[in-house]
Amino acid sequence: MSDKNNKIPFTEDNYTHNINRNNERKLDRRGFMKTLVGAAGVFAVSSLPWGVLAAKELNGLGDKKYPKHKITDVNSLPIGDAVDFAFPGEHDSAILIRLSENKYVAYQNACTHLRCPVFWKKDEQEMLCPCHHGKFDVETGAPTAGPPRRPLPEIHVKVENGAVYAVGVKRYEA
Amino acid sequence: MKRSYLPVALLLAVLMLNIIFTQYMVHQYFYENYTNTIIAAVINVILFPVAFLIYKKGVNVHD
Ligand code: FES
Repeated sequence: MSDKNNKIPFTEDNYTHNINRNNERKLDRRGFMKTLVGAAGVFAVSSLPWGVLAAKELNGLGDKKYPKHKITDVNSLPIGDAVDFAFPGEHDSAILIRLSENKYVAYQNACTHLRCPVFWKKDEQEMLCPCHHGKFDVETGAPTAGPPRRPLPEIHVKVENGAVYAVGVKRYEA
Repeated sequence: MKRSYLPVALLLAVLMLNIIFTQYMVHQYFYENYTNTIIAAVINVILFPVAFLIYKKGVNVHD
């Protein structure tokens, strides 16, 4: 073979002369900063759904209504005492606590740690889980000690002609 | 002119905060503390314009 091809039309033997591959993949300071800003943008956008979902929960859209269910008679539950019942299904154990004359609270009493039944400790005025000593605030159901990190699902109650009824559940998923 | 790596450091700090607040946000969501979730989400969103401003300022001066 002659070396003709190497001379016409160029003297150089680079037939890809229009492709400059030098530094093609170099990431300079500016490019790096652009990437970082882009990543911040991705974080911002992906935060939006969480905010929306949280706002939805705050507005009580996660609450569920169930047909009302009689728990007990007012007369048979002295102030400071608690009674167990099942709501909304027959296997969803729950607890009703009478805090004062007219104040009742009720929670799904499966512990939010590993679902042991939470009971009402009257002399210490708190709800206690026997399995790993989780404790819950009786007013709100929020966890106050031990392994549980989520509040107990609250059951909405209503008092009607001398009886206490369960009417709905806050954020109950099953 | 000597280029400044301060904006790069600031952006990396912003990204670190993004990671921290994202994790906080997700955890607070599952612990059902929804107010905290919203606060973390808002901070995450605000961090984006902050990052953009840092970029704008940093890129023109010394490059
Ligand atoms: S199951 Fe209640 S604390 Fe572990």
